[in-house]
Amino acid sequence: MSKFTKEMIDDYAEKLLIGLTEEENKMVLDEFDEIDKNIGLINKIPNIGDIEPMSHCLDNFEFELREDDYHESVPLDVIFSNCDCMRDDEVKVPKVVE
Amino acid sequence: MNNMYKSIVELHSLLKEGKVTSDELIKESLNKSYELQKKCNAFISIIDNAKECKITDDLLSGIPYGVKDNYSTKGVLSTGGSNTLKDYIPFFNATAYENLCNHGAIMINKTNMDEFGMGGTGTTGFTGTTLNPWDIKRMCAGSSSGSACAVSYGVYPYALGTDTGDSIRKPAAYCGIVGYKPTYGMISRYGVFAFASSLDHCGVLTRNVSDAAIVVDAMKGIDYHDMTTWDSKNINLYDSLNDNVKGKKLCYIKEYTDINLFPNANRELKEHLKNFKDKIEICKNLGMEVEEVSVDIRLLKAVSSTYRVISCAEATSNMSNLTGIIFGPRSRGNSYEEIMKNYRTEGFSPLIKRRFVIGSYVLQEENKDRYFFNAQRIRRLLVDKWKELFKKYDGVILPVGRGPALHFDSNLDDYDDDSTYLEDSLQIGNFGGFPSITIPSGFIDDMPVGLNITGNVYNDVEVLNIAYALENAMEYKNQIAKENKNEG
Repeated sequence: MSKFTKEMIDDYAEKLLIGLTEEENKMVLDEFDEIDKNIGLINKIPNIGDIEPMSHCLDNFEFELREDDYHESVPLDVIFSNCDCMRDDEVKVPKVVE
Repeated sequence: MNNMYKSIVELHSLLKEGKVTSDELIKESLNKSYELQKKCNAFISIIDNAKECKITDDLLSGIPYGVKDNYSTKGVLSTGGSNTLKDYIPFFNATAYENLCNHGAIMINKTNMDEFGMGGTGTTGFTGTTLNPWDIKRMCAGSSSGSACAVSYGVYPYALGTDTGDSIRKPAAYCGIVGYKPTYGMISRYGVFAFASSLDHCGVLTRNVSDAAIVVDAMKGIDYHDMTTWDSKNINLYDSLNDNVKGKKLCYIKEYTDINLFPNANRELKEHLKNFKDKIEICKNLGMEVEEVSVDIRLLKAVSSTYRVISCAEATSNMSNLTGIIFGPRSRGNSYEEIMKNYRTEGFSPLIKRRFVIGSYVLQEENKDRYFFNAQRIRRLLVDKWKELFKKYDGVILPVGRGPALHFDSNLDDYDDDSTYLEDSLQIGNFGGFPSITIPSGFIDDMPVGLNITGNVYNDVEVLNIAYALENAMEYKNQIAKENKNEG
């Protein structure tokens, strides 16, 4: 029996502010079951927990502090070319403070 | 007139000799774009006002090409194949695209793709499915579906792609062309819509290995804006091409290639693996040593889940900026939460929603070790295994997938569950950032199939040379999709 439920899926989707249809919920459930089955197999690999997780494909990145570098900012009319809700040179945004 | 069927070097000669103008090439490429759009839906935008440019000694100057729609192109619609960015016009260029502009290359269109590069079918983009130009009842695979379709059809000699799992290399195989992703960090990802940053690669789709080398030479370079880029100025892929591969050593993985391991294999898989073994003989005839090696099947069967867990987790984080407030079409709602929820619920395809929910789940504190960290551990085991192979071998050679492109109405019951993991072998190239190239290797049912060569990081020259030699020893170089081939 699946350890995942429709309610769990809806809850995780809600945390992301995503609404799911019944059909989409079922698709996620099915994929979870498959991933969980495979992860179950991975957990059977001896001493898996001792392996250092690999977060990136190269391990020789060189990090450096750079000097501050002055750049021209992007002109307002260019920035506003993607904005369909504005007044003068201000962007209208939804109210976020009650 | 079919100038667009020619290679980059051939086109450059024609331009330099004045036998054709850049303007004529642009018109031809635009005409082909509209023709293909009607037939296969390969593009999101076609750039009617593409301008010719001065012909210089640069091989790419004045030659048209295509750009996958997840590259930011200043002043040109860049949607990433998503309804949530259907009107987005960037105000800056992706570095890789900018580099090509500096070489005089001419963008003709933005190509169709799976939404945000997250699908592998070419069916999930908001402008609809890309059809395979060899057989419109079949898919191109994805996510670089439009780029593969257009290069295969002969719209231009090359198009840009991105590859997080196999999104350049698998569509290339299914469309009978070359798909190359170089070592991670050789090409800047700045301005390319991030999917899973630790796996994302830029690359190119072409009809021969030389063209792939020429284009990546122009795209690559260290970039102030992408801290993962490295200095490759001493690497010149095109000038280094050399088909003397005598003494090179390759291996292939028994668990991916031995037909005896798949007693329920269908005819396509049998023919595909036989074709692959025939090509191994060609490698040997070229003077390469080729050996079979064995890898723990548990690791190979874990590739798919490892990829899904890591890519979904990184995607969930990367795409948290898709709120519908800072960019994208604003949805209705009385609060910002309502606006965001409506934007995401109505804008994302079911596939994207699924990926985000999975990503969110595996990153929850209580689930992180079981899913996310264990996936990263398997990633290390696989990469270590491949690096161990690269101590002895110059490359790993494998068939791509289980045969030719799937029909849209394929019944997956016709496919053997035991061989499903063969579909995921190329993802290991992303886990390790390895240079990896797919070349066409034959036909099954008149549809192209491909093979892949992957080498150790920074050994791009080696990988390209092996592909170049093998390509020259086979008869599939510079092929144009069959349904289009006889047009003159």
